Amino acid sequence: MTADPEGTYPPTAAMLAAPVDPDRAREQADRLRAAWTEPKGFAIVTEVNNGRVGAWYAMVAFAFMLLAGLLALAMRVQLAVPDNDVLSADRYNQFFTMHGSAMMFLFAVPMFEALSILLLPGFLAARDMPFPRLSAYGFWCFVIGGVFVMGSLLFDAAPKGGWFMYPPLTTQDPGVGPDIWLLGLSFIEIASIAAAVELIVGVLKCRPPGMSVDKMPLYAWYVLVVGGMILFAFPPLIAGDFLFELQRSFDWPFFDATRGGDPLLWQHLFWIFGHPEVYIIFLPSIAIAAMVVPTVAQRPIFGYSWIVLSAVGTGFLSFGLWVHHMFATGLPSISLGFFSAASEAVVIPTGIQLFAFLATLLVGKVRRSLPMLWIAGALAVFTAGGLTGVMLAIAPFNWQVHDTYFIVAHLHYTLFGGMIFPVIAGIYYFYPVIAHRQLSARLGRIAFWLIFGGFNLTFLPMHLTGLRGMPRRVYTYPTGLGWDWLNMISTIGSFVIAAGFAVFLWDLLRPKRHQPPVVRNPWNAGTLEWSRSVPSENWGVRSVPYVSSRYPVWDDPDLIDRIDAGRFYLPDSPDGRRESLITTVIDARPQHVQRVTGPSWLPIIAAAFTGGAFIFPTFHIYWPAALCGAAALATIVWWLWRDTARIPKVGLYDAGLGLRLPTYMSGPSSVGWWAIWITMLGDSTAFASLVFGYFFYWTARPDFPPAGALHPDLTLIGLATTGLVAAWALTLTARVVNRAGRVVAARLALVAGVAATLAGAAALLGAIWPLDPVTHVYPATVWALVVWTLVHAGAGVVMQLYVLAGSLAGKCTPNHDADLHNVALFWHFMGLTAVVTAAVIGLFPLVI
Amino acid sequence: MTQNDATRISEPADSGAGRDEGEFAAEALSLWRITFGPVIWVGYFTLSYGAAALVCAKAPDTSVATLRLAMGGTTLVALALIGWIGWRAFRQWDRSAPDTDATEEHRHRFLGHAAFLLALIAAIGVVFTALPFLTPGTCL
Repeated sequence: MTADPEGTYPPTAAMLAAPVDPDRAREQADRLRAAWTEPKGFAIVTEVNNGRVGAWYAMVAFAFMLLAGLLALAMRVQLAVPDNDVLSADRYNQFFTMHGSAMMFLFAVPMFEALSILLLPGFLAARDMPFPRLSAYGFWCFVIGGVFVMGSLLFDAAPKGGWFMYPPLTTQDPGVGPDIWLLGLSFIEIASIAAAVELIVGVLKCRPPGMSVDKMPLYAWYVLVVGGMILFAFPPLIAGDFLFELQRSFDWPFFDATRGGDPLLWQHLFWIFGHPEVYIIFLPSIAIAAMVVPTVAQRPIFGYSWIVLSAVGTGFLSFGLWVHHMFATGLPSISLGFFSAASEAVVIPTGIQLFAFLATLLVGKVRRSLPMLWIAGALAVFTAGGLTGVMLAIAPFNWQVHDTYFIVAHLHYTLFGGMIFPVIAGIYYFYPVIAHRQLSARLGRIAFWLIFGGFNLTFLPMHLTGLRGMPRRVYTYPTGLGWDWLNMISTIGSFVIAAGFAVFLWDLLRPKRHQPPVVRNPWNAGTLEWSRSVPSENWGVRSVPYVSSRYPVWDDPDLIDRIDAGRFYLPDSPDGRRESLITTVIDARPQHVQRVTGPSWLPIIAAAFTGGAFIFPTFHIYWPAALCGAAALATIVWWLWRDTARIPKVGLYDAGLGLRLPTYMSGPSSVGWWAIWITMLGDSTAFASLVFGYFFYWTARPDFPPAGALHPDLTLIGLATTGLVAAWALTLTARVVNRAGRVVAARLALVAGVAATLAGAAALLGAIWPLDPVTHVYPATVWALVVWTLVHAGAGVVMQLYVLAGSLAGKCTPNHDADLHNVALFWHFMGLTAVVTAAVIGLFPLVI
Repeated sequence: MTQNDATRISEPADSGAGRDEGEFAAEALSLWRITFGPVIWVGYFTLSYGAAALVCAKAPDTSVATLRLAMGGTTLVALALIGWIGWRAFRQWDRSAPDTDATEEHRHRFLGHAAFLLALIAAIGVVFTALPFLTPGTCL
């Protein structure tokens, strides 16, 4: 129970027009500046502000992209002439595996997250993201994981089974390569999910007052769609990694056909991730186009709702396509038909978006500019890739060119057109916001024509190379098959692309100190990121504006002056703390003032320990890994305990413009509740993937469960279910009675909840203890489901103890119960997980 | 914006302004409409794929004809449901009420438009997914 907002909203015209006393404004600005000051010297690495972290994130992702590009150049050198021996077969395998893996996991997805963390608060005129330290934690996890995975190349130990790591090749690989891939990239996937949670909550809750869902910049819509897709696409891969690593480390036979396993399950889980992944990469890039096109056309976007809904539709349909990567695996032809048809259907919403951009350009007064040149290149290249995609969606054609260079050509057309070109357009377009300088238009044009020309020179001939039968992933080929000159052309083209990137890199890195700062809003754009002052301040926006249209900078001539004067919300920081305004999800009405966390070593320490927990098991070293895991957990608990959900000293806080808002919020109005809800949605998807695995084996294998198999003990399963459901009920009871003021009863309920959880978990373990997971995939799958449930029960106990400690320490009270709300929300999911696990492993064997 | 448009945010009469619960209650129907179209497609798709995989793995070859018939019926049901949601959403979007600037009205129509377009995309998805049942598909 927290105080309701007080004051007038929306602000009246008179309130907005009232001048601000300049002396008072200056004092406010000084206090605000002090609150947002960055740490000095080396301690700058502890900064968590989105501007810093986003820029670092983008630079590291770009560096990984350059490294992966160098690997591609080395491969092209090897393939330039027949029977070449620049690279050995083994090294070539490492290079193509790492080229694909790095481009996907270390560049494409992190780059979306980096640019969004960097730019989203600007689009929303927010001070920062809702959880700045979570962004920083994700970034440091990404750095550690990325360096670890890429570093394996230096020791000749890199993964070499292709970026999709198909078993049984990779389960039987004696080296550490597959472990590096599985654990290193799982670590980064978890960081990606953290960023997705951050971005989704940012779009839902950190918009400026008045920016209802129908006035959001298109980029924010795309962030919402892509964040949602990450939440449903990455967990199946994490579940797959979990099974894969259990096989690699403990010989549980998930993908071993001799013991009832099936390698195809990995392909399903990988591509349920892998195909949406393509759209996860493509949609944010098209979102950049959606920001550039209205500025170039100098008019609002044409068909706003159509674009939004097409993006949502593309996101949905992209989950129904994954089997088109598996057309050659012998599935029933009627099943292939669904995926073929769904692959054709996704063209429709994708096409609507591109046509809406073209329509905007047709009806607007187009100003030629460098970002638009890159966007035009993107549309041309992507459309060509889309057309070969329509061809590949047809199963018989797909069989014909399966695993040939035709596929290589297709995927590079979609990814260059759908990602590289729009992102570079975005860097040219947003550079004045990011760095307050302009990149060179001349160098930008040179880079464009080199990359665009070089790209087509490299990849257009590959269609023909593929149709002539050259397979992918061969390190060399004999002469006389009609592939020689095509490969030579591709190699020459790849060096032209590299030259283009060299020009672009020089343009980015060359010293620009002598340049005058750019003027504010150099492209005359209409969205809020261009309202930022030049030179900028760490606070991001001087005061958070009230907006009433989609293009406030165009439509409200007084907006920028009023922002600068501190006329709008949060112009001050009386306590010297960093704050951000939280608004409602649909209409963006002011709701409360969020104290956001400031610079800290904790995210770096937590990331380092988390890294240890993932990296040690790669080398089958488990005790230090467990210690690192425990230390990471302790760090995170300390970080939450010390800095989040602090009980405020005053009930209501002056937010400016005559509005007084609470600074503490619990339940569905708080950002923390939304973060838990979104995280658990992703977590449940991973769990659902494991359950899918169980039923997949039952469908695909005649010996699941094998005749005479030992089944889990039903009595103990019953006890386990009772214990865990009771723990859920007790946690919920604790929340309700605590709110009613009966603090002691709440504490007792929590203690009983911990006991019930432990008893239930012990019974669950006991129920399956006699089953040996190494012998057959049936006991292994049962064990995997139970291990998953037990790990979550462990997290549930930690949370119950955390709120119990909070209650005893006076951090969690009847009126300030955000933590208890969040823990109860976790337990809803935990209870569901326990019931589903029990039903699947206990009851299903009875009915078959 | 006149003085009269401004509401006292603390007044209980203001449908819980500043609280998410109030907004969600006001737009509950629209929000359900938005999700139902795609959810029907997801359910239909999962059912098609799951049923085909199960029939091909566990049932005799002759059951494909039964599967096609059953899925044909399911297709019609799915399309009818999507059509109904689409029609309701279309009414919400294109009501003949005069165009006003009020945020609530604008947002309400936007959500209607959104639900309508999503129903359209869901219908396209269902029709495409249904196509393989029209062709003489087999388990081979």
